[in-house]
Amino acid sequence: MKKRLLIANRSEIAIRITRAAHKLDMLAVVFQSDREPDALYLKYADEIIPACDAGNEKAIFLDPERIVNLALEHNIDLIHPGYGFLSENPDFAQLCVNNGINFIGPSPQLIRDMGLKTVAKSMAIQAGLPLVPGSDGPVKDAETAKTFADKIGYPIILKASAGGGGRGMRIVGKPENIERNFKSASDEALAAFGNGDMFIEKYLENPKHLEFQILGDKQGNVIHLGERECSLQRKHQKIIEESPSASVTPEMRKEMGEMAVRFAKSIGYYSAGTIEFIMDEDGSYFFMEMNTRIQVEHPVTEMVTGVDLVDWQIRIALGEELTLKQEDIQIKGWAIECRVNTEDTQNRFSPQTGFIDKIHFPQQDYIRIETGVQNSSVVTPYFDSMIAKIIVHGNDRPDVIQKTLAALYEFTLTGLKTTVPFCRVVLQHPDFVDASYTTRWIDQVYTPEMLENEEDEMIGALAATILYASEYLQLSSDLPTYKNDRLNVWVLNKRLNY
Amino acid sequence: MGTSYIYKRDASRLFIAVRDNGKRFKLYIPKDSKPVIDGREMDIDFVEQEDFHYTFDWNGKRFHCELVSRDQNKAVVKVNGVEYKYSIESIFSYIRRGMINSDTSKIDENNIIAPMPGKIVDIFLSEGDLVNVGEPILVLEAMKMQNEITANCNGVVRKIKVQQGQSVMKDELLVEIQSIDM
Repeated sequence: MKKRLLIANRSEIAIRITRAAHKLDMLAVVFQSDREPDALYLKYADEIIPACDAGNEKAIFLDPERIVNLALEHNIDLIHPGYGFLSENPDFAQLCVNNGINFIGPSPQLIRDMGLKTVAKSMAIQAGLPLVPGSDGPVKDAETAKTFADKIGYPIILKASAGGGGRGMRIVGKPENIERNFKSASDEALAAFGNGDMFIEKYLENPKHLEFQILGDKQGNVIHLGERECSLQRKHQKIIEESPSASVTPEMRKEMGEMAVRFAKSIGYYSAGTIEFIMDEDGSYFFMEMNTRIQVEHPVTEMVTGVDLVDWQIRIALGEELTLKQEDIQIKGWAIECRVNTEDTQNRFSPQTGFIDKIHFPQQDYIRIETGVQNSSVVTPYFDSMIAKIIVHGNDRPDVIQKTLAALYEFTLTGLKTTVPFCRVVLQHPDFVDASYTTRWIDQVYTPEMLENEEDEMIGALAATILYASEYLQLSSDLPTYKNDRLNVWVLNKRLNY
Repeated sequence: MGTSYIYKRDASRLFIAVRDNGKRFKLYIPKDSKPVIDGREMDIDFVEQEDFHYTFDWNGKRFHCELVSRDQNKAVVKVNGVEYKYSIESIFSYIRRGMINSDTSKIDENNIIAPMPGKIVDIFLSEGDLVNVGEPILVLEAMKMQNEITANCNGVVRKIKVQQGQSVMKDELLVEIQSIDM
């Protein structure tokens, strides 16, 4: 009998996992949420479980009890959580395990450990990974803070140990400012949290976000699949990702990759995982955190390595041994992923909801499209604004940039605004072309005016004028000379519906 | 500037689009040839039209336009995914609103005055016609010589003060022209 794999997720990743299930000759089972009963991913699944979550406060994808109960009712063997939702919720993973369902991911305990930053960091220290220099515990006064800061170098960031939401937090660029800032931050923290304890850490002004993909099995084999650079982000939401990274030399790749593998081995990690690093302008890098899920941007790694990560995730969950060896992993060419989010990049990336009128994707053998929508799909306010991903492979970085740009120009969507015009701007910007962009690029460099250009502006004026003219000339048609002469034949003699 | 004879006679096909950033475009939409934008005939192809979507080809590039919203003469158009706002005026309403060349001294400059006494032999234009700079407006015969009087601006013929066969004095106002140069 075929194994039954339940996908506790939606949209493009549900379709991606369905594909992986079919490759392994399993049945893909999905939930139909009342919040989007006509979603595209339902069409690909072998079986649909109605979630009946209309009256529930949480959509089915966020409801561990209901997912597991429905899974048991429907004889589910494995659950794939995808990304987001409950993918890194240790209680959900534990609940699956307790009910005899194979949770596709690492052990619940490791999900819990990696979710607690202090625990994850101490485990990283044990494995010998570099961390952003900082105080191990609270510093007691401004004098001690200054001594510490002189040692690690400026700028530094002062963080209230009980802090949150930016309160009790100060970035200090010069030694003479540290005393004043320490006092005000400490007072602020004391007032806000009843605790004036302060930590001190080196502040990276223009960091890059790098992450290493790893695969580990239950037998203890671990390999890495190179890095991804995801520096182009807004409020920690990545928009463009690439693999490999132009900021990582082959030596660094080897060093960081070995580090990632060592860390994963030291904690007994299995399944697919990502080890995140933050890199300073001088090339020094530090461990940030580990993600225990499959990531949105996993296709760029698949494009350059040829390894099917979701396929391996499932096989590892079934106890299969990882037959890939480190030396089997070769990075071929370059890949870029652009996320298609329904957001208004002319207006602070505010989400757009409503109907997609028509959507058209570029088609080439070097382009991979992952989409959760089609013509006439509805983008609801209940879920994420990401509707699709355009992933392009090229021979090298300039080649893939040019191919991606062409792909983005071919992409069209009517009805809603997307991040695609923004991605076009990024791909043509010198900071992206020379790969010097950092996580602060959108805040520091990007302005909505960069989306505009004179050609589009002029053609827009033409379109607006034709619309206006067609009406205007119809009104003028009372005059005898305008008889049957309403609009330009250049406009194909089609009358507009005004 | 070889702009002569680009705007054909019909002023009702001339429009001004003003973007929200103040940038102005002068668009002439002829009956059966390509559009003229800011005095230049543009090799723009109309590829597709459906409801409120237009697709153009120009300079080897494709431009997808989508009408996002419209209110009276104001329109928001999405071009290749990016929104632009315009307000559109016909050239007549534009002039009526005094939105161009409200400077009266400038208006006088564009009027056609008889450079010498003589007789109007021929008039090539009528009121309301578009005229291009350098285009002949009328023929004035003086001392047995026929003189072609030409327009000194691109504009709309507001008033023709003389008739064919009429004799005129030096400095007499012949034709009033409203310039549309911006």
